[in-house]
Amino acid sequence: MDFGFCLSPSSHVKMDSIDLTTFNRLKETNPDVNTCIACGSCTSTCTAGNFTEMSFRRLLLMLQRGKEDEAKKMIQRCMLCGKCTLVCPRGINIRKILLDITR
Amino acid sequence: MKENILIIGGGAAGMEAATQLKKLGLNPIIVEKSERLGGHIAQWDRLFPAFHPAKDVVEQMLNNVKDVDARLNTEVTDIQRDNNGFHAVLSNKETIDAKAVILATGFDLFKAERKQEYGYGIYNNVITSLELEKFFKEGKDPRINNPKKIGFVHCVGARDVKVGNTYCSKVCCTTALKQACEMKEVFPDAEVYTFYMDLRMFGPGYEDLYLKTQKDFDVKCIRGRVCEVSEDMDGRLVIKAEDTLFGKPLRMTLDLLVLMCSMEKAKSIDKIQQKLGIANNSDGFMQNKDMYLGMNDSKQDGVFVAGTCTAPKSLPDTIGEARSVAVEVFNYINNK
Amino acid sequence: MNQYIFHPFVLPFVLGMAFVLTYCLVGLFRIIGQLPKDDRKKFWRSLVTPKTAWANIRDLFGDCLFHVKIWKRNPILGYMHSAIAFGWFMIIVIGHVMLFTLKPLQDVDVHGFARTFTNFYYPIFYKHFAEETPVFAFLMDFFLIVIITGIFIAVVKKIYSGVVGVKRVTKFGFADNMIRFALWTIFPFRLIAEKTNIMAFWWLYSIDLMIFMCMLPFTRYMHIPTEALFILLKHAGLKPREPRKGYALAQIYSCPSCGLCIDACPMSVNDKNSGNTSAYFMKKLRNADDAEAKRIAETCMQCGKCVAVCPVSIESCDIKMSQREATPYIINSDHSYLENVESSSSVNSTVLYFAGCMTQLTPKIMRSMKKIMEAAGENYEFLDKDGGICCGRPMMLSGKKSEAQAMIDKNTELIKKSGAKKLVLSCPICYKVFKEEYKLEGIEIQHHTQYINELIKNGKLKVSKGDVNYVYHDPCELGRAFGVYDEPREVLENVGNLRKAKSEKELSICCGGSLGSFNLTQQERDEITANSVDDLMYNHPDEIVTACPLCLKTFSKKSPVQVKDISEIVSEKI
Repeated sequence: MDFGFCLSPSSHVKMDSIDLTTFNRLKETNPDVNTCIACGSCTSTCTAGNFTEMSFRRLLLMLQRGKEDEAKKMIQRCMLCGKCTLVCPRGINIRKILLDITR
Repeated sequence: MKENILIIGGGAAGMEAATQLKKLGLNPIIVEKSERLGGHIAQWDRLFPAFHPAKDVVEQMLNNVKDVDARLNTEVTDIQRDNNGFHAVLSNKETIDAKAVILATGFDLFKAERKQEYGYGIYNNVITSLELEKFFKEGKDPRINNPKKIGFVHCVGARDVKVGNTYCSKVCCTTALKQACEMKEVFPDAEVYTFYMDLRMFGPGYEDLYLKTQKDFDVKCIRGRVCEVSEDMDGRLVIKAEDTLFGKPLRMTLDLLVLMCSMEKAKSIDKIQQKLGIANNSDGFMQNKDMYLGMNDSKQDGVFVAGTCTAPKSLPDTIGEARSVAVEVFNYINNK
Repeated sequence: MNQYIFHPFVLPFVLGMAFVLTYCLVGLFRIIGQLPKDDRKKFWRSLVTPKTAWANIRDLFGDCLFHVKIWKRNPILGYMHSAIAFGWFMIIVIGHVMLFTLKPLQDVDVHGFARTFTNFYYPIFYKHFAEETPVFAFLMDFFLIVIITGIFIAVVKKIYSGVVGVKRVTKFGFADNMIRFALWTIFPFRLIAEKTNIMAFWWLYSIDLMIFMCMLPFTRYMHIPTEALFILLKHAGLKPREPRKGYALAQIYSCPSCGLCIDACPMSVNDKNSGNTSAYFMKKLRNADDAEAKRIAETCMQCGKCVAVCPVSIESCDIKMSQREATPYIINSDHSYLENVESSSSVNSTVLYFAGCMTQLTPKIMRSMKKIMEAAGENYEFLDKDGGICCGRPMMLSGKKSEAQAMIDKNTELIKKSGAKKLVLSCPICYKVFKEEYKLEGIEIQHHTQYINELIKNGKLKVSKGDVNYVYHDPCELGRAFGVYDEPREVLENVGNLRKAKSEKELSICCGGSLGSFNLTQQERDEITANSVDDLMYNHPDEIVTACPLCLKTFSKKSPVQVKDISEIVSEKI
């Protein structure tokens, strides 16, 4: 029976209603955003990740799960050093994607 | 008169193809560049998934080919097509005329130095999967000195556009788990970690091996690719990887790091391959006619392919292909 | 009116000339007006400073008239340019000399404004209005023939560009092709007009001049008047600040679209990318095609080879950087977390070694440097052995100069705190920003090639010579940016044999790994790498040596022989 309310709001990601505008726009210019295999190389090598929560792997997921604000906040930590781009086994142009998100 | 079939490569594929061709009434001639038959598998200690001694299989295979004409320490230096099939010149100046050629030239192990961030050839206690297997076989390696913490890195030289190999090398996952268990057997007190991206347990009994790894051997599987290896003051290894399931990067000190090196097509055959007109596929392995019904056929008439020269394969796969190539060649000769 | 004074055929020329002069004058004021205040001050001062004034005179003659740089590149091309430019200059000068020294036209009874008007066209059409003396007639004919020989070469070059050693040339539109045709015909028409005095040819000559003058501002030939201004601004020591204003504008119009940068650009290995070269970038800027200019600016690898080969020395890399700076990315960088970072290295070492981010991925370099410094008995310390802070250069390459400041500040603090007297870097990317942006008074900054060379030279490091044949690759940010060409070569000659690459030093080809480019795909980079490797393998070396961790990683993927860092080679020979 649906009483129209529940005790606490669901913490689930609501995949039916999330806003993917940024990710879809990103996908147009950078089709390789879809090719991540989530190996974590970018995160573990990240110069900023040494001091902060910066993780490009998670950032891509955030955009795909409607957490755009969190993603943009994360980018602020980035030093754009390019190590992630250098190690990515799928050859994803990470530096470009990071910049394009902020455009 | 029995027709000559030239088999280049005396590893698992070459030996098994020769065995079957002999039974089918043809005359296989193996040309092997090293001083013995057996190929890579002869260097192996035990086989996945059931820890079966490789020696048993290899000895049986060697026994099967003891009557086969095999030229060791020999390479094919030139090969040409003529009216009767193929005319091959060997490095010992001998010539062989054959009706058909089977390329069973196998693979080279990825040179771990190429992935410099893993420190192979720089740090003493970074070794390859092959070297670990030799340790199991021979029981000694100065670099393996009662390690307390051991790490395995999957996909070294595989699934990595940065080294030019985008394919999965198929057998490293299972091999890593097998070797991880074996390390626990040798060093029961050691902690063993594997760093994987996907555990591809594709064959019969492989998933059981995975379960055994977790249940009986307490091997810890961490989902994340190792990105950097450095050395601390005491000469121990410090690795960096992301624990992608936990969502945080981690650092860990290890006494031994094992690199699961991928397979690449053997380079030594490049020249002959070119002479025969066999192209490579996008993974750099030999191109076969098609991957379903023509897996043993090349695009050139009378030239056949078998084993890991066309893609990374497990031993059972390779033996299966060796047997099927024998039938293909038999039919080819009889229909001529 | 008698025929000494006026003939209607001069009108097209007069109109054209008046138009182009007005246009140039307005342009001049606009460019100077757009300069930031301090730059303008610098400019005025440079005009009266003897040193820069002398450089101005030297280059105005050397570059604009004699085209010395082009002579050096290719004598045929050099002759073509100086024949047309210097020849044309001379007939204008002689025309004026005749006007003011020879009787007939001096004696013409015209005064005031009318005199100014006639003097405007007399030198250009002298022969029609008066007789020349034999000496002047000879000089005029001589220079006219010189120009025509230059034009002859230009026509041949157009049909077959290979004769002057150029593979690819810029593709031109209608206007550029039309003005070129006008330029080619001006002087033949003049010669015929002078020799036959057929009115039709005087008309054609004058109309050709008008076409040339009127189209000049809208075509690449605008580089002829603009280059002079560009030379003056360059000597004033300015840097382009905005992509289409002031100094940058002067550079944009100074680009002759010769296309030398097209062959030079490493990206041109893929024909599709030859449209991303500097010649086209300048064209897009000139046409105010901002979207394309932005795209090209972000595709560029900033290797600097186009600047090295440019006969006009246009600083296209700097203009591209200013274009990047003008592109709004809202990163809102927050690097405040750096404030709490503490250095793990101990204080009181003389030499501080900063490996840099990329070198963390090539541990062999760090290990070799350690071995070298220990063998030399140096009192050294690693600044970033547990991972450091980025030098800031990659952030600057994205056009975010201010966002890089937090990193620069923190690194400066850590370095100063160490008390070291010398900072050694393994990565040319770091080297560039440390040299240009860091304020580290009293601390000597060296790249490890320079450092190792110094250690060998002053006898601190003993190395043995082997018989391996090396080829050295000049990293862009070490070679072209700072001219560090000799030190690494001296080091290599101490430990083995040095073979030459096909293209060396300022002509070296970027490895393709550059952090400068944002748009290149992995596959496009791979093509550049393969081409660069081929170039290095020209003399069949046993090993490729470089001095940049990024080049090392990039080459390793494609090279048929081993690729090593120079420090690794040296550490093998201790």
